Amino acid sequence: MSLRVLNPNAQVLNKSEALHMTINAAKGLQDVLKTNLGPKGTIKMLVGGAGDLKLTKDGNTLLKEMQIQNPTAIMIARTAVAQDDTSGDGTTSTVLFIGELMKQSERCIDEGTHPRFLVDGFDVAKRACLDFLEKFKTPVVIGEEPDRDTLKMIARTTLRTKLYEGLADQLTDIVVNAVLCISKPDEPIDLFMVEIMHMRHKFDVDTRLVEGLVLDHGSRHPDMKRRAENCYILTCNVSLEYEKSEINAGFFYSNAEQREKMVAAERRQVDERVKRIIELKNKVCAGGDKNFVVINQKGIDPPSLDLLARAGIIALRRAKRRNMERLVLACGGEAVNSVDDLTEDCLGWAGLVYEHVLGEEKYTFVENVKNPRSCTILIKGPNDHTIAQIKDAVRDGLRSVKNTIEDEAVVLGAGAFEVAAKKHLIDNVKKTVKGRAQLGVEAFAEALLVIPKTLAENSGLDTQDVIVSLQNEHDRGLVVGLNHHSGEPIDPQMEGIFDNYSVKRQIINSGPIIASQLLLVDEVIRAGRNMRKPT
Amino acid sequence: MREAVTVQVGGFANFVGSHFWNFQDELLGLADDPGADPVFRTAALDLDVLYRAGETQQGVATYCPRLVSVGSRGSLGSLSSSGTLGSSSSAADQPNIFTWSGNVTKSVAKPHERNLFLQSLSEGESNPSSSNGRNNARENIEDKDLVENLENGVIFWTDYSKVQYHPQSLYELYGSWTDFDKFDNYGTAKEVVSEWSQMEEMNERLRFFVEECDHIQGIQFLVDDSGGFASVAAQFLESIADDYTNTPVMLYCVRNPDSSGSSRNQRETIIRSLHDAVSLSKLSYSCNLMVPIGLPSLSYLSPLLSIKDDKHFHSSAICAAAIHSLSVPFRLQHVGPATDSAHSSGKLDIGELVHILSDQGRQNMITALDVAMPAPSLTDRKDLRNIQRSLHSLTPEISNNDEDPYAVESLVVHGALDAGGKRASISQVKDAIRSGLEGRETKPKFSHLSVSPCPLPIPLPFPSIFSGSIGQQGEILSNSHPEGSRPKGSLDVVSVPMAARLRSSSAIVPFIERRSTSLQRLGVARGTLGSQVLRDWGFGKEEVEDMGEHLAKMLRPFYPEMDLTSDSDDLVSVSL
Repeated sequence: MSLRVLNPNAQVLNKSEALHMTINAAKGLQDVLKTNLGPKGTIKMLVGGAGDLKLTKDGNTLLKEMQIQNPTAIMIARTAVAQDDTSGDGTTSTVLFIGELMKQSERCIDEGTHPRFLVDGFDVAKRACLDFLEKFKTPVVIGEEPDRDTLKMIARTTLRTKLYEGLADQLTDIVVNAVLCISKPDEPIDLFMVEIMHMRHKFDVDTRLVEGLVLDHGSRHPDMKRRAENCYILTCNVSLEYEKSEINAGFFYSNAEQREKMVAAERRQVDERVKRIIELKNKVCAGGDKNFVVINQKGIDPPSLDLLARAGIIALRRAKRRNMERLVLACGGEAVNSVDDLTEDCLGWAGLVYEHVLGEEKYTFVENVKNPRSCTILIKGPNDHTIAQIKDAVRDGLRSVKNTIEDEAVVLGAGAFEVAAKKHLIDNVKKTVKGRAQLGVEAFAEALLVIPKTLAENSGLDTQDVIVSLQNEHDRGLVVGLNHHSGEPIDPQMEGIFDNYSVKRQIINSGPIIASQLLLVDEVIRAGRNMRKPT
Repeated sequence: MREAVTVQVGGFANFVGSHFWNFQDELLGLADDPGADPVFRTAALDLDVLYRAGETQQGVATYCPRLVSVGSRGSLGSLSSSGTLGSSSSAADQPNIFTWSGNVTKSVAKPHERNLFLQSLSEGESNPSSSNGRNNARENIEDKDLVENLENGVIFWTDYSKVQYHPQSLYELYGSWTDFDKFDNYGTAKEVVSEWSQMEEMNERLRFFVEECDHIQGIQFLVDDSGGFASVAAQFLESIADDYTNTPVMLYCVRNPDSSGSSRNQRETIIRSLHDAVSLSKLSYSCNLMVPIGLPSLSYLSPLLSIKDDKHFHSSAICAAAIHSLSVPFRLQHVGPATDSAHSSGKLDIGELVHILSDQGRQNMITALDVAMPAPSLTDRKDLRNIQRSLHSLTPEISNNDEDPYAVESLVVHGALDAGGKRASISQVKDAIRSGLEGRETKPKFSHLSVSPCPLPIPLPFPSIFSGSIGQQGEILSNSHPEGSRPKGSLDVVSVPMAARLRSSSAIVPFIERRSTSLQRLGVARGTLGSQVLRDWGFGKEEVEDMGEHLAKMLRPFYPEMDLTSDSDDLVSVSL
């Protein structure tokens, strides 16, 4: 108790107290997230202090919403959220797995096992489990033409845990097509090239994929066309507004006349730039039914808009920086930073450009493009919280498809992997371990079953029945998962239920690390001012 | 007309902003009110500069501030982040979950109670027949309750806001693991700033307002730089400078009086000094003009005011009034440079103001703000109470030495009164200011004056910060009441004349110097506690040196001899 001498206010939790505090925190977090898991989970509706709504079934979102105070819980939550950051899914599973590992350990520790043995066992089991995953995974041939059906199955598995079946199935196609649109062989997939745009309008089932781009603003001139076909697209980052070219340049004028002159000179420069664009338009559109659209990252002021409108050009100003990149990928051409040497090669192409107005919000659709390498998922919904929830689901769906393409493998879902891995650990691995570390392997194996157990529980099935029948099937050499409707064993392969390989790998990897760290805590000292109070 | 966009980042900045928008809302109401002082109609400020007209999806016309406000999660109190007052609560009662057919668990946070003032506001909306005539005796009693309620019960900045905000305006930062109660130094925002999606969302919202502008004149940026929001703002400013290269940004760094409060130990003192230095360096890096506001105490600012330091509601009011005054020239009608209309004089836009203050004489972009609230009347112009002399600085740590021959200043006087409580004419004010300037021993190198007859209107949700000797029109009553009289608020004072001045002079030197030395002493030196702190905040050694260099560079214009050496340095580097 030397600490007491240094700081009389310090609180110390000794070995078993400390352990129980961490175990309870882990179990608490598990209880909160348990009901989320799977296609029969419960959606959470959060109502804020000002009456604002949030709907979520995503463990990641939920963890971020909760104001967690307990330090252990924060550690677990951080791991789980990091899981989401790296692989896009599996937050809930991570929390459940860590919670279950702690729960199983608690039993052993209460019977007198030292945590050290458990930790050693975890380590062996973890490595064995990862090796088993390598063998167990189902390879997917990606190559030039990825197998669309497999991708659809994996996207559907993810989406069905977030949205009702009808909508999930609709989004499945959208998500798969979006990723295939932007993926190029031998290049990492940049999901930012899928723009996710939302409109508060109509219903969730009106959500669609736009091959091309949707911009959240329109032209700012009454005479510009609202709809044009066969359009050249000029993507540029050129200021088309009168401004004092450089604020720091410091020019002075002593009378009104001089000022007017300065203004006129400035204006001429801007007009000159606009004229360059109009010249190019006249050149490429001469004598055809072609149109010309300028999408500018910088501003365009009313006189310039006027000139452009008179030349029959549609012009949009202040486009998103990221959209400059997307536009070029979607329409072709290149983004230009100066109008000095404009040629036809700089221009992109879109079959259709039109504007959609909702109250004061304007949307510009750039569609029917050739060989798009960027696309937009347009989410519609009647209110903000619905849109937000669909958006989260779409993100997860995109990630799952991306992961599959990058992993070139999937893992059978519906709890099949967990049951198989448990069998492998008990049958083959446990024997190879000497001494009490066997208990650790056993606890690890038992903890894996938390996934099928929770799936069964959330579906209102009898957990023990389900586990027994699943294990029986596995003992007979069949790889089966859980049918969440009937509780009967099913073949996930036939049903098309797949999980991401990298997600599973990550869960098996990070879960035991955190659990081991927490188990080896044998003293908790609360002396600092900034220490949060454990609850 | 050239549009300005306003950005508010952080707790106290939103408190100030809330008052600021209340003033604008009051002006809006007074311009249409036949019972109000005609000066609000004839000399109206052009509110289109700050406001945007739009419509909702249902086709209802709206007129909202062109504003992006960033605060921490939960700082909006009873206001929903979509900007509507309480109307969304009905949606919560009738949840339609379209996206999930399974079970639903509902978790409801304890709703924030709306205070009397907000309740009366929403009542007024539901039955607009009851006029907001303040002279109505029956309502007066009610108003008294409201004012009292606000005096004692303001927790959130939304508690006294009567403005309707656009759904894109209010943004709440969620720091997943960041404790916003301890969001008190530059490093605490690391997690928030590194989260790409949040910064992107802030930029998107700003873009929404900028895209609409035909000729944006600039961005007014208010930041509460006493804590982690300084870092959020620095990041935000950086992307603004990238995206809107030629748009001038005017930055007000506002702090509430207790934010600089006494530190308990040495470590905290070091962290505070480093925070001040780092945020000055980072914030000044990507703006065009910076105005630090935030005295350690406002209680003794002026005998005409009684401000309680511990109330954000009080201290933010005077900052907001000063910022309002400074924004008056941006909204005056444009007239030829030689002629003056009867209604205003000295229109400036943000770019011109920045140019006047920071590009002439010295290249100094940190300016001091002085305010006179209320501005004294012109009658006793030879007397002690001349407008310039009654200005009190709101910028901390400046020197009192006003004798700088290279100073550049911009003075705004609006709503000044003449003898007998009459509004002074534009030329009277000009003469008075000119003679005041003549009386000064060292004249500034350049002084710009903007005048408008339109005083600062005092809206109902304004704190009682005026002393008993202030009259209804903000005049200073000579037969002042005895000491113990109660402070006056919005029920007794309808409007006040104001004067505010921005000064770019050597008075600011101590402010910069202190930060520069503390960075050198605590941060750059090796092995100190300070350098450890800076590393924790994520700054490498080189970055710290860059910041130090940046601060030193800001001091250079004030020391011509240093300037020479630096020039020769530049020459060497060029010839190499």
